[in-house]
Amino acid sequence: MAYSEKVVDHFNNPRNMGSFKKEEDGVGTGIVGAPECGDVMKLQIKVENETIVDAKFKTFGCGSAIASSSLATEWLKGKTVEEAGRIKNTDIVQELNLPPVKIHCSVLAEDAIKAALADYQKKADPK
Amino acid sequence: MRLRRVFFSLNEQEHMNRRTTGTEDRRELQMARSMCWHCQSEMAGEYFCDRCVKVQPVSKDLDYFTCFGLPRRLAIDPQTLETKFYELSRAFHPDFYQNKSDAEQTISLDNSAMLNTAYRTLRDPIQRAEYLLDLEAGSVKEIRTTPPADLFEEILELQDTLDEFRASDRASDNASTLRTKLQADRATLEQRQQDMDAQLQQLFGRWDALQDRGEATEQARAERASILKSMRDLLSNRTYVKNIVNDLVATIA
Repeated sequence: MAYSEKVVDHFNNPRNMGSFKKEEDGVGTGIVGAPECGDVMKLQIKVENETIVDAKFKTFGCGSAIASSSLATEWLKGKTVEEAGRIKNTDIVQELNLPPVKIHCSVLAEDAIKAALADYQKKADPK
Repeated sequence: MRLRRVFFSLNEQEHMNRRTTGTEDRRELQMARSMCWHCQSEMAGEYFCDRCVKVQPVSKDLDYFTCFGLPRRLAIDPQTLETKFYELSRAFHPDFYQNKSDAEQTISLDNSAMLNTAYRTLRDPIQRAEYLLDLEAGSVKEIRTTPPADLFEEILELQDTLDEFRASDRASDNASTLRTKLQADRATLEQRQQDMDAQLQQLFGRWDALQDRGEATEQARAERASILKSMRDLLSNRTYVKNIVNDLVATIA
């Protein structure tokens, strides 16, 4: 089975690869992984006035996992925190044309977004 | 014949209720057919036909614990297992069927292959647990597991260092600093493995205790499911860490 063109494109030209300093103000970090396939994914957002101004990722995993997280960072930029929470893995599946066996990669990306948002909120509003 | 069948089912019942400690001299297993393939006489689970003494094919559904006359417990006495394995091997081994018909040779081969797989699986505590999870798969709901987040952080960092190390000039100072760091990471991961093994052992004990009590209450069912789920999570994380350690070791070798 071949990867879709979009996956290959994200894989060859990953967007927003890299990282922010975790301690930095307004930065939310989500680190997730799947023991079954061995993938690990780090997704970070930088938030100003409830809007995501920048996003970065670093993924060790298969092409689909890299493409899913790369796409996620693209989508996150410019969204409000609330809008970002509505990104669903099925949106990623559709955009990247992921085959059934690779759906878990998009789930991982959604989990990473959720984890990053939760981390941001925890930092912004420590109880 | 009918009488004997009743006896067999009683025997089975007793077998289910009671923990089996020693090997049994029952020459019965769950067989593929209820009739001898050769003389068509009725069978009740013997692996040699009473009438024509031909070897019979074991059922494809025979679970490995039952195969060795063991209850579904995770602590198995290796001696008991080995003794039973040898006993069954003597019954089915292809060497003893060289002068027999093709049909018997095939059955002997199939039975032996199944027996060997069963033995290999049950002999190793981890494979044994994984097999038990397969058997009990129906009782564990497919809930996606949430492994500890700090594990992924550790692994992400490690992958970073590994990448850097792979790209570095092996003779450089940087490479030797990275190697030292990787060796420390390896020790941390191996510690994690040991912790997981200890937790697994504890779960095995809890499972066995629950099996021994043999309760059918709602609470027992819930505990059963929770033990199985924790066991599955741990086994999956364990494999994960093991693969990463292997990768690490291969890289710095």
